[in-house]
Amino acid sequence: MATSKLKTDRPTYASDFIPSDVERAVFLGNPVLDNMMTSLIALGAEVWSNRRRMKVVEALLADKGVTTEMIEQYMPTAEQEAEWQKDRDRFIDLTYSPLLREGDLPVSAAFTRDNK
Amino acid sequence: MLDRRTLFGATTAVGSFVGAAFGGRKASAKTTFTDKNLSPAGDVNKRGTVGRFERIPDLDVESKWDFVTGFRVFQQKFTPVAMKRIDAIMESKGLDPKGQYTMAEAVDLVKDDLLVQTSGRTWISNQQITWKIIQDYYHEHADEYLAEMEAADNDGPGTLELNPDLDIPDYIRREIHIMPGGYIGDAFAGHMYHHGTNSFTAGISFLGPNDQDQLQTRMVDRLPLPRDGKVKRILDLGCAFGRLTVALKERFPDAEVWGIDVGGPLVRYGHMRARDLGIDVNFAQRNAEDTGFPDGFFDIVTSHIIHHEIPSEQNKKVLAEAYRITRDGGYYYPVDFANRGDKGPVYSQYRRWWDHRWNEEPWSPEFVAFDMESAMEDAGFTLNHDTPAVLPGFGKRHGEKLA
Repeated sequence: MATSKLKTDRPTYASDFIPSDVERAVFLGNPVLDNMMTSLIALGAEVWSNRRRMKVVEALLADKGVTTEMIEQYMPTAEQEAEWQKDRDRFIDLTYSPLLREGDLPVSAAFTRDNK
Repeated sequence: MLDRRTLFGATTAVGSFVGAAFGGRKASAKTTFTDKNLSPAGDVNKRGTVGRFERIPDLDVESKWDFVTGFRVFQQKFTPVAMKRIDAIMESKGLDPKGQYTMAEAVDLVKDDLLVQTSGRTWISNQQITWKIIQDYYHEHADEYLAEMEAADNDGPGTLELNPDLDIPDYIRREIHIMPGGYIGDAFAGHMYHHGTNSFTAGISFLGPNDQDQLQTRMVDRLPLPRDGKVKRILDLGCAFGRLTVALKERFPDAEVWGIDVGGPLVRYGHMRARDLGIDVNFAQRNAEDTGFPDGFFDIVTSHIIHHEIPSEQNKKVLAEAYRITRDGGYYYPVDFANRGDKGPVYSQYRRWWDHRWNEEPWSPEFVAFDMESAMEDAGFTLNHDTPAVLPGFGKRHGEKLA
């Protein structure tokens, strides 16, 4: 997980440091698995950030007379429902279709003209 | 009208739950921003304050902080799962699951078990994400937050001494806790350490939320008085961004209180924060091995979790220095881990290992095996064993300098 370097002309009072080698750590036997675990947690942070913002929006809407109850009771139109389901399916496909992959070739597998 | 403080108080639902479930005390720190209606020159305060906590300046950053804090609590659920798995591993090898093992032995036993390793991987990943979300924000807005610190540098109450030429020992130049740049290498080390440690303690059951400096206030409330009751000067050694320093001044308002640390950005942020709170304390970028204070200058010298960040030989020098600057009749009370030796149950040893090796705690195993109490006595202190622990669960080390 790359960290950023600060560029500024202002005084920082920072000193040289000895970097850790945590970026090279492999806990799960394969760095790709480690990377996926980090990505998964970061994705959780992003999703929660959106949900928490939605809670703010709902609280502000409540001040304007749109209550949580009204949101819960809202019945989408048939057109809305169809559109939302398409969106839901796009979300599911993007997120979970990688789980269906049946890879069986090692990365070192040679190219042959018969590859299909 | 929406009360944002109610909705998103810095002590999150998770933090509140942890505190309530495990006995974390409610905020008892004395000073809040609101009390004094402070608005010092150059102050950047984008989202208001909750008590003495200036809210994380961006809603999304705050929400991600909230997530990683919640994840730390969730992460504890790995413990029983991993321990069950370890029991099976031990049984398959004919070993005693309740035996005592070194870190190396423990790591060797569990290194190929993906479930046990997931417990370490997720903890480290979450820690990396914690730092990244905070550092990225402050780097992106560096100009305004560096200007904020510049406005505070020479303002009071309190003073700030920065020393860019300080000879910083290599042992503390490491990226401790994998915080980018460690204590000394990033202009926003204080900002990162403040929000990062708030997340860390909220995720540990017996420490609990600390957005109101509850932990340091509890510690200071339990500090003993010197035998003659006189407290004119106090030093917080390795003060980081000065939470304990500020809490000391609040308990001893008539005392001259100092906080020193090798990290320039840490004491700089600490000074700005104390100044924003209107608390008159002095911060200086100095080394605990060689503080520059006169002999017998302080009635009380204390510290919070610095000794496990220091190798044993240098710890002896810090203790000698603490003894030198403590007056006759005064004391040094360092709050740090108990010294438990170098063996333990497999999972706890594995956790120590990942904390040491991958969370960049280079000297922690050395400290846990170090005989701190004897070293304090070797430095000249007389240990008072009757004093209750300042922070239960940590070492009890009240070293008096008897005349």
